[in-house]
Amino acid sequence: MRKILIVGAGQSGLQLGLSLLRHGYDVTIVSARTPEEIRSGRVMSTQAMFNSSLQLERDQKINFWEEEAPKIQGIHVSLSAPPGQRALEFYGPLESYAQSVDQRLKMAGWLETFEEQGGNVVIHGATTADLDGFTRLYDLVIVAAGKGELVQLFDRDDARSPYSTPQRKLSVVYVHGLEREPHHPEPEVGINIVPGLGELFVIPGLTLSGPCDILFWEGIPGGPLDCWDDRPDPQEHLQRTLDLARQYTPWVYERCRNVELTDPLATLVGAYPPVVRRPVAKLPSGGAVLGMADVVVANDPITGQGSNNAAHCAAIYLQAIVERGDQPFDPAWMQATFDRYWEYASLVTAWTNAMLQPLPEHAQAILAAAATNPTVAARFANGFANPTDFQHWFMDPAKARAYLASLGA
Amino acid sequence: MATQQPNRWVRPYVLTAGRTRTKRPLLMETLVSVTNYDPGFATTLLPESRALYEYARRTLSVAELSAHTGLSLGVTRVLLGDLVAQGRVMLHPTSALTGGGPSDFHMHHNVQLLERLRDGLAKLA
Repeated sequence: MRKILIVGAGQSGLQLGLSLLRHGYDVTIVSARTPEEIRSGRVMSTQAMFNSSLQLERDQKINFWEEEAPKIQGIHVSLSAPPGQRALEFYGPLESYAQSVDQRLKMAGWLETFEEQGGNVVIHGATTADLDGFTRLYDLVIVAAGKGELVQLFDRDDARSPYSTPQRKLSVVYVHGLEREPHHPEPEVGINIVPGLGELFVIPGLTLSGPCDILFWEGIPGGPLDCWDDRPDPQEHLQRTLDLARQYTPWVYERCRNVELTDPLATLVGAYPPVVRRPVAKLPSGGAVLGMADVVVANDPITGQGSNNAAHCAAIYLQAIVERGDQPFDPAWMQATFDRYWEYASLVTAWTNAMLQPLPEHAQAILAAAATNPTVAARFANGFANPTDFQHWFMDPAKARAYLASLGA
Repeated sequence: MATQQPNRWVRPYVLTAGRTRTKRPLLMETLVSVTNYDPGFATTLLPESRALYEYARRTLSVAELSAHTGLSLGVTRVLLGDLVAQGRVMLHPTSALTGGGPSDFHMHHNVQLLERLRDGLAKLA
């Protein structure tokens, strides 16, 4: 039985760990926190997952919250221009629903399941020195702890990383009591763009205390939505979130009359530069470790693809590990495995990095067309589930013009 | 999990059949000791695990074992976890800090730990 060690107990590490157990591997997961600590800790993400990712969880029979979590039926885009006025909106129905399960619930549950199913759990905040020791004890060591110091082992890939500073300041708050859109009573993801300032995302989710909504401001640095550096207390954080909604997206604010925090740790602030790293880290003793998901590809959350990338990365790595049989997991195999993931992730990265910039003319034309043409709106919405489609029409001016012309739009 | 055919990529000592699970995590301050010292078993272990097994003949914390053996804390935890799973080393439930209880309980004791740390650091300063 081949022994695999995974450092990190998030979407990618746990999904891969649980999948490997099903394939008969001896798997150890190193988690910095116990399930109870995860569950009683702070929110970690907005984690909207679209159908192609949810299907990967169904395939591994780890979709434990599928019945309980709100089923997101569509994507509702609004443009606030000038700020505070809804200049344009469109609704694109998703072909299959999306879901967002609070990672406190999900990762704690998955970690417990992993241990119950025979996986080894080591509670430890792993360091570089540990990794050196681990490589001698395991056939393969994977680093899936995207937020820790270990990512520094992986060199930045300058050619694939156009940004060196955060492109958005992030603010998340989980609430109960948000009213649904009057015209779309089904759960939907709201994307509210305030050109030049940032975006407000409204994402229905499932948290510890039941169904909720996540209000997620992305603020362009230096602008009025970049206002979280003082790390406000939870009530102030909620109040500020609502004040900004009243000013810039009043149609969202109208639905907020009865909102309250889901719990005292339901707020999060952050900022990080988008980065692509080299996937293989060499350790002082000569051992090599493989990075996965946001250790190696950390995009801005503006396109909501972080968890989706993690799920796809875990599925691709699983396949590569199984196909490897008894052959060694050497650095060449590690690089080739990442390259398989990068075939997918490069397209997500290109789209995400583009969305951080003022939209070029052809992209603006697409959003304008979507406001009157349901076919365009649906294609844009379903691109979140299949982001590899954007290269064929959204990312390229000539292809965008050809597509719109083909619709007579 | 049944032990499969060993293959050349797997060191024999890392194959552990019939693990039994413990719900208590190996925290830095968790106290451990060898249940019934078995010299025959000790000779089957590779050096790192054997060193841990020998030192743990008297009750020590995970942190102390790491310091005595020169193994990093993470490697210490992984190897101790294997010894615990095989029933060769036990965790002492008398340690107030082994965790695993309901969150209130756990948080409560974490506060005590933090206070002790604070007081200890104050003495050093």
